Amino acid sequence: MTVVTESSDQRLRGAPIVAVLLASAALGLAAVTNYPATTTEVDVANRPIQLPEDGFVSSLACKACHPAEYETWYGSFHRTMTQVATTATVLASFDNVTVPDVPGQPMQLERRGDEFWAEFDDPGWEGSERSRPRITRQVVMITGSHHQQIYWYATGHDRGLNVLPGVFLLDDQRWVSRSAVVLHPPDQSVAMFNGHWNAICIACHTTSPKTKFDTPFRAEPFDRQSVDTTTAEFGIACEACHGPGGEHVQVNRNPIRRYLSYLRDGSDSTIVQPALLDPQRSSQVCGQCHSVWEFYGPEDERVANAEGFPYRPGDELTDTRFVAQPMPNLNDATIQEFVEHDPEFVRGSFWGDGMVRVTGREYNGLIDSPCFRDATDPEQTLSCFSCHTMHKTADDPRPIDAWAETHQVSSTRDGDDACLQCHEATASDLGAHTNHPVDSTGSRCYNCHMPYTSYGLLKAARSHTISSPSVAETVDVNRPNACNLCHLDKTLAWTGDALNEWYGIPLRALDEDESSVAASLLWILRGDAGLRALTAWHLGWEPAQGASGTSWMVPHLAELMNDPYEAVRYIAYRSLRSLPGYQGFDYDYLAAQPERVDRVLPVLQAWRASTLSRQRREPELLVETDGTLRADLMRRLFDLRDNRRLFLRE
Amino acid sequence: MADIKHDSLRYARKHVRFGWWTLLIFLTLGLVLEILHGFKLRMYLDVSSETRRLMWTLAHAHGALLSLVHILFGLCLRAMPELGTANLSLASSSLVGASLLLPGGFFLGGIVFYSGDPGLGIALVPVGAAMLGIGVYVMSRATAGLRMTQESGDRKQKK
Repeated sequence: MTVVTESSDQRLRGAPIVAVLLASAALGLAAVTNYPATTTEVDVANRPIQLPEDGFVSSLACKACHPAEYETWYGSFHRTMTQVATTATVLASFDNVTVPDVPGQPMQLERRGDEFWAEFDDPGWEGSERSRPRITRQVVMITGSHHQQIYWYATGHDRGLNVLPGVFLLDDQRWVSRSAVVLHPPDQSVAMFNGHWNAICIACHTTSPKTKFDTPFRAEPFDRQSVDTTTAEFGIACEACHGPGGEHVQVNRNPIRRYLSYLRDGSDSTIVQPALLDPQRSSQVCGQCHSVWEFYGPEDERVANAEGFPYRPGDELTDTRFVAQPMPNLNDATIQEFVEHDPEFVRGSFWGDGMVRVTGREYNGLIDSPCFRDATDPEQTLSCFSCHTMHKTADDPRPIDAWAETHQVSSTRDGDDACLQCHEATASDLGAHTNHPVDSTGSRCYNCHMPYTSYGLLKAARSHTISSPSVAETVDVNRPNACNLCHLDKTLAWTGDALNEWYGIPLRALDEDESSVAASLLWILRGDAGLRALTAWHLGWEPAQGASGTSWMVPHLAELMNDPYEAVRYIAYRSLRSLPGYQGFDYDYLAAQPERVDRVLPVLQAWRASTLSRQRREPELLVETDGTLRADLMRRLFDLRDNRRLFLRE
Repeated sequence: MADIKHDSLRYARKHVRFGWWTLLIFLTLGLVLEILHGFKLRMYLDVSSETRRLMWTLAHAHGALLSLVHILFGLCLRAMPELGTANLSLASSSLVGASLLLPGGFFLGGIVFYSGDPGLGIALVPVGAAMLGIGVYVMSRATAGLRMTQESGDRKQKK
């Protein structure tokens, strides 16, 4: 055996030294490297760009350490609220498509490679209608991915955007005009202006936006303004709710700090955890967008325009935003100032008593709920997180898309448990409280205390003001009550008697019609367009159909399918298709009135000739005992209709 | 020389035996992971369990590969008893320690974890990695000696 030579041994001694040096270099690199901005689009010139700054780092920085939270957020509609138009995100066809249902000449769509282009009448033209020119613009951004997609084109001036005249309805796979997807007066166009997205939509459809107009929006012609709009990230991303994450990312690169934090309680002062805030502050995180709010004054607006919105999660929201809440402060000087400037400010968003009536403003509903407003124990105070989860929890068996589809309601909070977690006494004898069979839809807490009295996105949505049904709310402010939204075939008098007998609610004086005609039919004939839309939706609501029967509904849906408001017609048509025998019925809610009448009249005649019309010959359903409709009464009620123009600001 | 050869063969038997048994354990772990996949168990496959999935996969992979290292170590000692000039005791205990701490740390790190961070068991992994490094270093030195030994033997034969 020969002893190893000294020289070869010396050569090999270098190997571990190299290994130690490599490891040291890696550690050193990790210690000094700053986390780079992960989303930069500085080369893009024709649209707003994502530019994380002021401590924002974008969701990509969160992904590495919070993969599950990232994944569930990624599957939510919050993420896709605003997207860059790409072949992956555009859900409508642009392949040489002609869209006739837009104002003026049809809109022509085309694909140019991976780009999307549209030719349409110039919405900014201020000359005569006859000479309105055509313009061709590239579609660069998208709003929405759930019910509809709204497309934004590059105006060609700085980063300014404007909206295409057509909107794509995802359920129907159909292009319609923008005016056909909102509830607004039929003779009024839905005005949109160059820079609209930059100045208005950006506030709630992106994360940490900066509008960056050099002068206030529409203070002077758009072409003369400089528009350099940026945002930390498109869509409602992690930092919209958790605040800027730069410091959090930086300090938590230290594993010792992370593990010490885990061993304590997991809290971390460098990031906001909305679920750990008190119910008021945590709900305000959602309320920063899900509320009717305004700037306190022009100076606040100027600051937000230049430097971004000052609100950060965890802050007191009302320090920097005026949350309009007419119920407690209808006579408040600030509200009155808004009403003076915009007479429809209250009516377009609220019922007569100040309860919010449009979707997307749920925070307004929450803060007027006794479970929030009157609660004294934080553990038993209603908040958004009492029912909703922003990240699907590990114990939720649903796939992410199913969770997202249900408005991110927790799997354990989509039934009575949401309420019974506090109202334990009611849980012990639910039937005694509801006076309905325990397993029926009439015993579901939501159906009585959060009825579908809000409107938006061509459908009804649950009120987020926890309330108890009453006849008074219908008589006094024309808001449909929960009882008659299910018992569509019953009168207000019937409801009043039941509530009086069961809960001792005093009887309300009613007029002759309210005592003798089903409440739903009064809403259809006398109500405003918003009330008609809600009633039309409930005629297609399965629990209401079960409680009220459907045989009598056809003539009234037929009436609504000729409503002057497009949104009402759309909803009525969908409800008609939910009735037995009408699933395949074809009708175009955007057709001219004569065509609509031609389609609907045979439906009415067929119903009259069928056995359906003979099943419910009840005067309160406006059918005489001989089977004829009570036309005179219907006409009289129709003459009483609330025809005030209504634009619901969903 | 006889003592060295005796030591080498003793360690060879020990590591071949250890290698095969640990290979059985870690292949069984792999089978368990396959079953978790097959039955789509949420505690393993959910998005929220991504860290656990990664940790347990790493435990399986490191454990199985280190088992092969043990077998190879034993076979090398048997084929080249002169490797016994190295500090076999240190190399052996380091490799055994690495085989316990590396996959064990990964496995424990996946039982309880903190979102994207593994549980505290992961602290065993760098210790195991250091032991593996020591074992490999000791044997690397021994193989370097083996090469030179062979070269000097060749030169003698030519003379």
